[in-house]
Amino acid sequence: MGGLLLDILTTAAILFAVASGLMIILGVMKLINFAHGAFLTIGGYAAFVTTQLGWNPWLAVPFAALVGFVLGLIVERTIVRPLYTRPLDAILATWGLGIIIGQVITIVFGREVQFVQSPISGAIEFLGQSYSTYRLVLVALAALLAVALTALLYFTRFGLNARAVIMNEDLARGLGIDSTRVRLTTFGLGAALASMAGALVTPLISVDPNLGLPWLVNSFMLVLVSGISIPGLMVASLILGGAQVVVSTYVSAILGGLTIVVLAAVILRLRPQGLFSG
Amino acid sequence: MVEQAQNGPAKGQPSAARQRSDLGTVLKVSAAALVVLGVAPFFLDIYTVNILIRALLLAALALTVDLLWGYTGILTFGQSAFFGIGAYACALVFTHWGFGAGWAILALALGVLAAMAVAGLAGWLAFYHGASPLYGSIVTLALPIVVTQVVFAGGRTTGSSSGLSGFPTYYWTIETWFWIAGAFLVVVTALAWLFVRSDMGRVLVAIRENETRCAYLGIPVSRIKILLFVAAGAIGAVAGFGYAAFTNVVAPELTGFLLGTELLIWVALGGRGTLIGPVIGAIFIDVTSSYLSGSLPFYWKLLVGILFVVVIVALPQGLMPEVTKLWRRLVPGAKRAAETPALERAPVREVRRGVEKPLAVSGVHRHFGSLQVLQGIDFVANEGELLSLVGPNGAGKTTLIRCLADGYERSGGDITVFGRELGRWPPDRCVALGIGRKFQTANVFATLTVAECLRVSRYRLEPPSLWTSDTALELPEAALRIVEETGLAQSLDTEARHLAHGQKQALELAMVLALEPRIVLLDEPTAGLTRIERERIGAILTSLTERERLSILLVEHDLDFVREISSRVIVLHQGQIVLDGSVEEVVGSALVREIYAGTAMDGKGNEP
Repeated sequence: MGGLLLDILTTAAILFAVASGLMIILGVMKLINFAHGAFLTIGGYAAFVTTQLGWNPWLAVPFAALVGFVLGLIVERTIVRPLYTRPLDAILATWGLGIIIGQVITIVFGREVQFVQSPISGAIEFLGQSYSTYRLVLVALAALLAVALTALLYFTRFGLNARAVIMNEDLARGLGIDSTRVRLTTFGLGAALASMAGALVTPLISVDPNLGLPWLVNSFMLVLVSGISIPGLMVASLILGGAQVVVSTYVSAILGGLTIVVLAAVILRLRPQGLFSG
Repeated sequence: MVEQAQNGPAKGQPSAARQRSDLGTVLKVSAAALVVLGVAPFFLDIYTVNILIRALLLAALALTVDLLWGYTGILTFGQSAFFGIGAYACALVFTHWGFGAGWAILALALGVLAAMAVAGLAGWLAFYHGASPLYGSIVTLALPIVVTQVVFAGGRTTGSSSGLSGFPTYYWTIETWFWIAGAFLVVVTALAWLFVRSDMGRVLVAIRENETRCAYLGIPVSRIKILLFVAAGAIGAVAGFGYAAFTNVVAPELTGFLLGTELLIWVALGGRGTLIGPVIGAIFIDVTSSYLSGSLPFYWKLLVGILFVVVIVALPQGLMPEVTKLWRRLVPGAKRAAETPALERAPVREVRRGVEKPLAVSGVHRHFGSLQVLQGIDFVANEGELLSLVGPNGAGKTTLIRCLADGYERSGGDITVFGRELGRWPPDRCVALGIGRKFQTANVFATLTVAECLRVSRYRLEPPSLWTSDTALELPEAALRIVEETGLAQSLDTEARHLAHGQKQALELAMVLALEPRIVLLDEPTAGLTRIERERIGAILTSLTERERLSILLVEHDLDFVREISSRVIVLHQGQIVLDGSVEEVVGSALVREIYAGTAMDGKGNEP
């Protein structure tokens, strides 16, 4: 029982970390970034490079965030900006971007599966259960991420501008807020979060050019169910991630793989605004 | 210009003589395509013929994506699911049950029926009244993922991740398979061509351009989308069946999300909404991919990815329209002459008059959370009455109009239309009760011509043909008058987006009147119009109430206009009716002056 609870908690933490970058971009820019999976992959390869260079494995996380941020800025400027008025086309263009990133990675690093050194290995006793230390550390990191994102949105100038753009972009622009800059920074931030999450999950899974793909659809569903709020995403990750763990454990791992997608489709049919929007 | 319909055909059934279709052209092009496909295997090497068979079947699948996304605006990631269902139906029956002509027919029927059932279920989930376009895409995204997982879960029955292979099938020559696949693609393309060029095809584009306006024109948008999705599913299943029967191999990738997105790429590159573009795109990219998969696999996929992004960003309509443009420049006279339909007066429909009140509203209220926007609204509208709703901004005028045209809108209270309960009906069924609504801002179908916009508005009264288009446009007297008096009759071939603002407003009013409504809801119909245009619209509205005994509800800010044309005025303030009387009563009321001066008391005499 303790093991199941820990599985649910750690799965939810991972899902939260993975989906947060997608949510920031959708929340501020009203844009679905289908290159999200590719940015996760970039993070995974940033961690791989860190390992190859023999750096401290913890450096993988800030390194991935930096790479993601810079690439995010470039992508926003070149591909995303012309598509603000065409949200469905933006989904397609970012999907195409994902293909480009995936192919470039394949050409540079090859198709084969790679492994990344974990910053922490082994297990510790927790709730009378021997459990992977790294997974438990991820829970703490995800909580830290939630606090940091909340602080960013509510206690910084960027956060104030971003919230103004979320509520009423035209009015925000009228008040002298440079919404183009807010969008640029947001996309960079979202890409950085995705890469960071990619680097964080790679010690648990192997690295390959399609690493991000399975996470993309689940993240997308979680963000929509969350109603686009940080606490909402935490609860959505717990409920849907929990359901996934329960189904995988007691029914079948294959059905577990579609729990999030199916539950999300049903929830969104009943509550189109998501679970936690006012 | 107007011809009287002499002894016109039976109501709602345009005569066959008036139907125009592309059948001749389609047959000629299809025959040419069949000849090319017929001789092609003799000029191509066996490897090319082999990969072309797969490409031809996938092109038919891409065509269904074009119908859904390019024409109707449903961004679907899930068509691969139906291809997979058809393929697995073939593989499962041949592997586990038996092989032979009977089994083949059974397998095909099972595959098509299963695909249609899945499409119907997904469509019912995805396309309900008020669903966002994104939700539809979410369901189509979930669909292939679910089907793939079901295949994985099938264990030895479905072959799980390695799929099924080596089942018995018809070992016909490769040319035979090529001809079957080619003929299938030609038939599907020809049918799709006739379909999109028919009057029903215009309805699909109207749904893409403005779904809300469609619903308020009485078009059952959800039902059309579901039926289209089911038909597309059936076509996809046939293609998948053919693929499995030919290759003798099925794998979970056939049902997968990645194939679904590849279809989108082919359609986007070829040109969404062009039919021929996606077919060429699918064949070209799939064949080239097969050729280059040995030598340059990653670089080719990278190139397709780059091209896809560039096309979406810079050429959203894809490459086909550019080719067409070039062709028209090189070959003068290639531009098809526009076929303007002849305007005709629709036969007058008998209606019972003076029996029931057109509109009786009692106790209607509407709240958003704790905010009361309307409360305790009671009033009756009579035949031949032009009833104006006035009140300051935020008084609830537009909300009231919304409650009258969509059964889902109000929080409580009863609305009776000609003695029938409005209930919780969506807008398209409210139209059937006789309600027509014009929106505040001109709301027309941007890429349809004036004539097509009006034709689409006749959906309920003259059900459009799926294969042909009507050469005449029947409109009721009232709509005809607007079309002729505002100069729209001279621009029937103009796309609505090129009209001036005043003409757009007039077109939308004509579209609403084309519904032959008995109650017309107008939300600031004269906003942004010149004085002359306003007077003309005013004269038409008064004559509609006087001659045709329509009941018109008008929301208006221009009090001079209200005074000139109204027969009765209702004053709304803070969500309540504060006055209901004749024009003189309202104009002379001190309360109304106070409300507009901003020093009003609410009903209980408190400061707001």
